[in-house]
Order: sequence, then C-alpha cells, then structure tokens
Amino acid sequence: MLAVPIGFLLADFGVAAAQDEDTNQTLGGRVQNEFEEDGEEVREGVADVRIVVETPDGTLIAEGVTDEGGQYSIAVPEAGTYNVRLDTESLPEGITIPEGETEVYEAVNIPANSNTTRVFFLGEDLRQAESKWSQFLPTLANGFKLAMIIAITSVGLSLIFGTTGLSNFAHGEMVTLGALVAWGLNRSWASWSLLPAAIVAIVVTAVVGGLFELGVWRPLRHRGTSLTSMMIVSIGIALAARHLYLFLAGGALEQYSQYTLQPDLIDLGPIEYPPRSLWIICISGAVIIGVALFLLKARFGKAIRAVSDNPELASSSGIDSDRVILLVWILGGALAGLGGVMYGLEYGIRWDMGFTLLLLMFAAITLGGLGNPFGALIGSLVIGMFVELWTFVVPNANDMKNVGALVALIIILLIRPQGILGSKERIG
Amino acid sequence: MNWELIFSSAVYTSINAFAAAVCLFAVGLNVHVGYTGLLNFGQAGFAAVGAYAFAIPIIEYGWPWYAALGLVVVCSIALSLVLGLPTLRLRADYLAIVTIAAAEIIRYFVSSTRFTWLTGGTDGRQGWTEFFSDLNPWVDDDRFWIGAQTFDGYRLWMMVLGWTVVAVVSVLVWALMRSPWGRVLKSIREDEDAARALGKNVVAFKLQSLIIGGLIGSLGGLLLAAQTQAATPGQFAPNLTFICFTVIIIGGLGRAKGPIVGTMIFFFVYGFVDTLLSQATRRDKLPDWLVATDNFSQVKFIVAGVALAALVVFRPQGIFGDRREQVFDVR
Repeated sequence: MLAVPIGFLLADFGVAAAQDEDTNQTLGGRVQNEFEEDGEEVREGVADVRIVVETPDGTLIAEGVTDEGGQYSIAVPEAGTYNVRLDTESLPEGITIPEGETEVYEAVNIPANSNTTRVFFLGEDLRQAESKWSQFLPTLANGFKLAMIIAITSVGLSLIFGTTGLSNFAHGEMVTLGALVAWGLNRSWASWSLLPAAIVAIVVTAVVGGLFELGVWRPLRHRGTSLTSMMIVSIGIALAARHLYLFLAGGALEQYSQYTLQPDLIDLGPIEYPPRSLWIICISGAVIIGVALFLLKARFGKAIRAVSDNPELASSSGIDSDRVILLVWILGGALAGLGGVMYGLEYGIRWDMGFTLLLLMFAAITLGGLGNPFGALIGSLVIGMFVELWTFVVPNANDMKNVGALVALIIILLIRPQGILGSKERIG
Repeated sequence: MNWELIFSSAVYTSINAFAAAVCLFAVGLNVHVGYTGLLNFGQAGFAAVGAYAFAIPIIEYGWPWYAALGLVVVCSIALSLVLGLPTLRLRADYLAIVTIAAAEIIRYFVSSTRFTWLTGGTDGRQGWTEFFSDLNPWVDDDRFWIGAQTFDGYRLWMMVLGWTVVAVVSVLVWALMRSPWGRVLKSIREDEDAARALGKNVVAFKLQSLIIGGLIGSLGGLLLAAQTQAATPGQFAPNLTFICFTVIIIGGLGRAKGPIVGTMIFFFVYGFVDTLLSQATRRDKLPDWLVATDNFSQVKFIVAGVALAALVVFRPQGIFGDRREQVFDVR
C-alpha cells in the first residue's frame, strides 16, 4: 500500500529475502537534513543519529546509529509491529525536526524476511508544496482499489438485506473466514499456491453462507422471529465467530506467501499500481459486471430482484422465495470470501478485518440505498474514495482513515436517508 | 486444579468494580433498549465520552472534579443529539448502524496518534483518579480478599462506590419508568404509531430516552476507566456494548433489576470460564494444538456471543423475565 500523506514521504517497499526457517528482517533507511542554499535544494545525510525500534509501551527491541551518509540498518530479532523512533537527543546541535515531520513512526509493520524502510527528514521542509497535489492521483487510485473490494463484499450484504430485510452483522466475519481459509491453505496448514487456496476459500464461504441460511435464518424466519431479533442474533454470531478466529489463528497481522511484495509497479500514465492491485481491480470489475448481468438478465437474478421488491407478490406469482433467499446467501457468502482474499492480499489478514470492513460496507449500502445492489456499487465507490481522500485532506491521520467514511454515513442519513438509489418507503 | 481459586475468582469477577461499572453502563442501555426499544449499539461511545471528558480537563487544564463532571454531562447530551436527530425518525436498524459507527469514530479519534497530545493515543490517560483516591475510606494499597482472590483497597472502594451508584440510579430509573413519562416510553416501544396517534411527540420522547440512557452510560464509562486508574481506547471497543446486550437480555429487558441480575450471572460465568481455562492451560490439562499460551482468554467472548444469539432465539425475556416485557418483536 502506498498511501502517502502530506508532509512525509513514507517509503514502504519491502524486498523479499530467501525463505528459510530462521526469519531475518531488517529495518533500514536514512536520516537526512534538507535545507536551501543559494536557491538550491540540498539534502545531506546526518551521521551518528540513534534510531530505536521499540514496542508501543516503550520496551527496546533493537537500535542502530546512522553512518557517514546518514544511512542506518537495524536487524530486528522478531517480525512484528513496532514503533520506530529517532532519538532527538542524539541529533547534532542546530539540527531539529521541523513542524509536520515525524520523530516516531508508529505501528510500523516489519514482516519476516524483509527489508522495511523508514526515512527521517530533518531541517526545513522543502517537499510540502509540490508533494500534496502530486499525491492526489495516487490517493485516488488507492481509493478506487479499496472501493472495488468493498463493492464485492457489500453487494452480497445488500442482496441479503434486500431479500430478507436482515442487517446481517455477521457478514464481516464471512469476509474474514474467506481470507483466513485461504491463508490457512496458503501459509498455515498447507503451502498451496494462493489461487487454488482462494477458490477453496470461496467455496467454503459459499457453503457456510448456505448452511447458516438453512440452519439458522430460515427456521427463524418461519417461526416469525422479528428482524430486530435476527439482527441481534447475527451480532451474537459475529462476536463468537470473531473471537473463534482470534482463538484459532492468533492476533497477528498475517500475509499471504505470494504476490505481497511487488516492487515493480505497472505504470498507467498518471498513476501506478503493483500488478496484484491491478488484478484485484480487474477481477472485481469482472465479477461485478457478471453479478449485475445476472441480476438483470438471468431468470434467477430477476427472481432475486422480485423478492427484494415485494416478497408477497413474488411468492404469489410463483417464485419460491426460500430457494431464492438460499441462493442469495450462497452468492453473498461466495462474494464475501472472494472479497476477503483480495482485502487480505492488499491490507493483510487479521481476525478483526471483517468487522472493520463491515462498518465500511454498511456505510456503502446505506449510502447507495439499502437493499439496492446497484446502489451498493455506487456507495462502495464513494466510501472507498472517501476513506483514502480523508488522509489527503487531514494530514497524519492514517489511523483515522475509516472516520471519513463513518462521518459520511451520518451526514448522508441527515440529508438523504434513503440513499442515492433507495426508495423512500424502506426507511420509515 | 485450584477450585477454591476458580470459584472465588468467579465470585469476585461478578461483583468487582469492573462489573459494577459495566452494570451501570447496562442500566443506561436498558433505558434505550428495554424501555424505549431503541437499538443503541454505540453505548461504548457514550462510555468513552464519559471517561475522556472527565480525564482530559482534569489533567490538561486542572479543572475541579465537578466542572469535569459537568463537561461529561454536556458532551454526553451533545452525542445523544448528534446520534438521535438524524436517525430517530428512521427504522430501528439505522440507529443501530449509526450508533455503532459513531462509537467507532470516537474510539478511532481517541486512539489516533494525531491526538496523542490530548488523548494519550493507545496508551490512554492516567493520573486523573486522585479525586477517587482522596475519597477512599480504605488505604489504596491495602490487601483484601474474597476466598483465594485478593484485591487492593482502591478496587474495594471503587467496587463499593460503583454498586452504590448502580443502586441509586436503578431506583431512579425504576421510579422514572413508573411515572407517566416512563409509560409513554413503554407505549412507544410497544406501538409507536399508537403513541403518535395519542398525540405524543414520539421523536422527542425517544431523544429524551437516548439522553438519559446515554448519561448513565457515560457515568458507567467514567467508573469503568476510574477503576483501572486509566482511560484507554481499548476499554471502549464495540465488544463492551455487545456484552452489555447479553447482560441486559439475561437479566430481562425493561426491568429495573435486569442489569444487576444479568451482570452478576454473566460475569460469574465469564470469570469462571476464564479462570478455569487459565488453570487448565497452566496445568497442561488441555491439548497444545487447541490452547496455546493465552488464547483461552478469547473463549469467554465466544461464550458471550453464543449466549447472546441463543438467548434472543430461545429466551428473549431473559432468565427471570416476563415475556410481555420483551421488545424485539415490535417491528
């Protein structure tokens, strides 16, 4: 991911090292002083500056000192997420960290067998003016990529809501399940290639979706359980599932073994993507077009839309709504699994990734109009862009990315509660 | 297996200062969900507001405690208005989604590195609980015990204070809900259209309920943070709200003693499962492939989630509840 906020260029390239049992990871980079001399921009390395790798609570993990050219390289004993801090007391006299620059990179992920880079900038800041707008298109490109992943997962959520009326809070856990099954086959229990692992993951999530419909949701519906009760049941299931994942897979941010380190970007004119992101966008696009055609043209797709519009009318015109709903759960599960693998590939796999994504998905489908699958697509696009552009507008707020989307959700409900494509009767 | 420790630890977990704070928090949630039928899934946001709005002015600006408490009230009401005005006219699940989103916004905000100077980031803020220590009739560092479970004087004091506040607030809520005002809330829960037809301003009543329950939740959050002597973002994760839903459903929705009964039952099981598994793990009674070093502590959340789903399906009125008081089948 190459999200570059204003004010600091954050180089985050990893280079794969040989895979072996003993992991061997380093953190490297440069401490450079920048100033203007005779109208010329000068960048020089600063020697003898102490760089510290520590845990969030301040326990020292490793440290190093910059050489003549300002370069440093620190061997980190164990992969993980650390804070990387520049010890300001070791700076030569007269050199300071300017406003807007960082002395600590918080929560730096240092994966196993990789070389992570962090650069510290001192002195006057010369990049600010140009860097802000030069980052606009890349930020937009990141937003588009996220939007395509949200779209894949939220279409299923929207279809489920449309046909059953249920706000399924366990949909995020379906996304995590997909990512975790693929990770298990790819890295943990077996070392399959990611593609077959992803296909198995999608099948698993589709089957689990169908089984939950048959085992839980259909019986509840036939008992006449209210939608609110079912929503709370889904929250309970989500809570249990999330911690089951944490119980089984642990709390670390995991990566797939393939396609994650791709330093050679594909140049698309003003923007560039690593190959995997381009593939993700293409696959999402193709699947979305496929689902849209299915909904518009195929018999079953039309039946889904009929049940969404008016379940009673659909039943009385001979549509078996239970079969349609089962299909929607299977389809929704498969799409969630696919989305999970792609999200995991881009942003890493973690037990609570689905829950984070769930709020974005809800924001997307509410924005687009609850229950309307095409609305979900438009909503996802807006939300994905919003999440990334938020970091563009508000500097140094990478850990608050999702706030933008959630604020958008609340504002939309104030102005247009039915969403962009929604119909008024659904909301009251 | 040290059964004495397991049982005394479970008893302590069910009545300690944390349980008292969660119980207060649940009393507020019960006003929303149990009495009014408002699905507030962002109660953790109210709790965070309660803790941080008290802590920050005291550390950063040296406010006296009553001024800080005033700020808690103001912020909590403001949050209710922000949440309520856009959503209370809409269907129940909109409120659910918006409240959970708002609670997450607040949590992202207080844990963000950008606001570390104000909120302390993920480490949170400490050093604002002197007020509670000063009032402590016991000595902060003295040891006390229930069976094999020991705890310090500060915890004992926060436990006594917490349950006292719970008792007072519960009686207030009970009285309020017997008043004509409370009966309007229940009528909204039972049939919103009927209440509207009788000329009641449904949105205004819902908003008042949101404010009162939110204030109680903020107070609960304040105690929750005070008993650990620190306000940290981790305390206010969405799980807190989900657990409280389980708690109030166990105790029976829409009953004044529901949250108290629910808290004690829930946290007894919670503490029991946790200590039992920790003992079993330490003594190698469980296979390694299943339980590694510390993942047993997740089991209680799995139990809570399953309990929440199962209760709603099989016993929505809770363990001692009255089926007529259960609210989920309104809409």
